Amino acid sequence: MRCAEVKEMIPALARESQPSLAVRRHLGKCRGCQQELETYRNLIASLQTLEARAVEPPPGLAAQLIAIPRGASTVDHLRSHVTRNRAAYAGGTAAAVAVAGAAAALLWRSRDRSPQRQRRTGKGRLATA
Amino acid sequence: MKRPKSGGSEAPRELVTSELVEACKKGDEVAWARLVEATHREVYSLCLRILRDPHDAAEATQDAYLKAWRALGSFRGEAMFTTWMYRVAANAAISKQRGRKRKRIHEVDADEEMMSQLPSTASTEALAGARIELEAVEEALKLLPDHYRAALVLRDVYGMSMDEVAKELKITETAAKVRVHRGRKKLKEMLYSDDTE
Repeated sequence: MRCAEVKEMIPALARESQPSLAVRRHLGKCRGCQQELETYRNLIASLQTLEARAVEPPPGLAAQLIAIPRGASTVDHLRSHVTRNRAAYAGGTAAAVAVAGAAAALLWRSRDRSPQRQRRTGKGRLATA
Repeated sequence: MKRPKSGGSEAPRELVTSELVEACKKGDEVAWARLVEATHREVYSLCLRILRDPHDAAEATQDAYLKAWRALGSFRGEAMFTTWMYRVAANAAISKQRGRKRKRIHEVDADEEMMSQLPSTASTEALAGARIELEAVEEALKLLPDHYRAALVLRDVYGMSMDEVAKELKITETAAKVRVHRGRKKLKEMLYSDDTE
């Protein structure tokens, strides 16, 4: 096996995959590839160490997080109220739409019967004739 | 997924007991405050490592805790709370990363340029067997393109399985493996000036 082929596998070999017999044989005699594997293992070990290194959060963040139940409960209360009374809200909305529709229809009819419009459309003259 | 390690005598996993979580589930705000105190540094750190920007990380942390508060009822204690919380936080950070992606189309080019300017640690045979300075690793991680960094942070820093990484990033497991593989290679190139090739 050539170094180039083995080196391409090394980032995965350093953690996830098990080397095949051919790779193991190559690693057994190639110092460069051994070093490469060791380098990746150390890199991964360093990355794993980072987890324990917590970064200090900005001041005030903890207070905002602690306050979440108060804020969330208000929003959740409103949401659950709307959900519980969905039928009433739907009925109310439908009634409002119906009233608005009726009002629009009445307005349209009254506009249609106005003397000015009758003159414009000629309906008045026809009626008097 | 790996458990948070002890950063001292007060590791989050030791502070977050099942009783504390149960009290939070019942709406106990004092218990919630203790839970936040015990975990928020680690959660913020995870978000920051994925997002790089402290403001975005703080927002993602808030999103994560809000989601956690609402979903606490679904936490059955099969995994440790901190493990569950890490998943919620990773999800929030990755959603944020996706949201800001459109604004940062040119980021990859800029990163490539910055990578070439990163002062690398000395590259000798001796270094292959030595731990790299953690500060240098943190800095190099920041310079990785977003998609590689997120995969690498979840896999190698927080110990998620490839399957979990794939699910968090909404990609296939093969794609997750490719991202982790390439991320490691790029990171290694940044930290070691002379390749051993």
